[in-house]
Amino acid sequence: MRVDVGAVSDFEDRRVRIVQAGSHEVGVLKWRDRFFAVHNRCPHQKGPVCLGIVSGRLTSPAPGSMEVDDETPVLACPWHGWEFELERGRALWDDGYAVKVVPVSVESGRVVLEVGRSRD
Amino acid sequence: MYSGPVIDCDVHHARNDDAELIQYLSRGWREYVTDRGPAGNVPLAVQDGFPNPHGFMRADTYPKGGGEPGGDYETMRDQLLDATDLRRAVLTFGDDSHVAGHHNPYFAAELARAMNDWSIDRWLSKDPRLLSSIMVGSQLPDVAAMEIRRHAANPRMVQVMLVDNPFNYGFGHPIFHPIYAAAEETGRPVAIHGGAGGWANPPSTGGGSVNTYFETHVLWPQAIQTHVVSFIAHGVFEKYPNLKVVLIEGGSAWIPSLLWRFDTEYKGLRREVPWLKRLPSEYFAQHIWVTTQPLEMAPNKDSVVELLRSMSLEDRLVYSSDYPHWDADEIEYLSTRLPSEWHRRMFFQNACRLYGWDEADLELPKAAAEKPR
Repeated sequence: MRVDVGAVSDFEDRRVRIVQAGSHEVGVLKWRDRFFAVHNRCPHQKGPVCLGIVSGRLTSPAPGSMEVDDETPVLACPWHGWEFELERGRALWDDGYAVKVVPVSVESGRVVLEVGRSRD
Repeated sequence: MYSGPVIDCDVHHARNDDAELIQYLSRGWREYVTDRGPAGNVPLAVQDGFPNPHGFMRADTYPKGGGEPGGDYETMRDQLLDATDLRRAVLTFGDDSHVAGHHNPYFAAELARAMNDWSIDRWLSKDPRLLSSIMVGSQLPDVAAMEIRRHAANPRMVQVMLVDNPFNYGFGHPIFHPIYAAAEETGRPVAIHGGAGGWANPPSTGGGSVNTYFETHVLWPQAIQTHVVSFIAHGVFEKYPNLKVVLIEGGSAWIPSLLWRFDTEYKGLRREVPWLKRLPSEYFAQHIWVTTQPLEMAPNKDSVVELLRSMSLEDRLVYSSDYPHWDADEIEYLSTRLPSEWHRRMFFQNACRLYGWDEADLELPKAAAEKPR
């Protein structure tokens, strides 16, 4: 099911907007002109993951240093702080553990979700 | 009972008097320590700690000819080295091991250097099965690193030993890193002995200090836990990927509980330590070994086995007697507490992996192994 969730201009950069898509709450993020969407349900304890903080992925080439990968938005669940990268929904500490990703596209200036299809 | 080859990873050798060690001090430090007239020598061992109501030594280990338990080679040979098919014993010093508890860092560094020379001269020369820890005064990590490198070419100085903590930070703190750089460079594991944290300086317990030996001994694992968490959180194993650590006399049944919590906390707090690339339990499994003594005595021994097995610790446990201390664990006793399919690994094979020894070299018939080398 395709769901139009608004115009591109309705989305503020680096902010997750929660929309209703069919029977699901979905968080939609605009990040550096790209869109990401995930179910608002943490796989850990079913918390509202999309209410959490979004940031670039913090990385470190060596102990004591801190860098940020702005190409990789990361969502931290407000319950317990578990972090998921939003491209594939994967937890940063386990590729096999993920929040459910919803395919999202921009068509004629509109943001469209493909609900009911998981991207992986 | 297990009757195969044994490597004992915690044997405390001791000096019988001050003179044994003083002769290894530099001339200046000898002058400093002695010649105080009626005041006697400057104490060589840290003057603090909790008294054990029984005494710290097994009464049967006092040498018949006098001297200190662990201070007489022949007594140790008869009671320990020849009592089983023991192939190697790693010596870990006695009261002097608290050298990092000295307030004077320069004196501590000199004492540590002298202790190592004493250990080589007085002990390693007596029996090819004996190996020694490299004691360091961690008050001065750069000097400690030099001391480690001084022994790089001596394969019988097998590990770097940390006991007391001169700083109020866990052993993973970067202040200690010169020690680990030298340990990794020279291929020596770092041994952290129970009471680490310590005997004299910062309390070895969390939450507050305690008042009896009973309490502090129950809580020895707390300091070890601090150091394990500190090592991993500070990324020591990312910075020194070939470094090995062995935890001595801190018990082992608590390890699964700590690592379960550690992994869970990492999932939520990774942002603080993005230099970690794996779960804490994975670093533990790759880098850390654990001595058997004191094995926790659950009413049902299977409870302990189940816990240890949950973290595959049967591949990380290395046997330690703690001879000649009061709470030593015997091989016969351990054989009854842990599954027989673990015995060869924990009494022999795991220690070979820890120290990088070829099992075949140690598998020689006993008579051949005793030949001088």
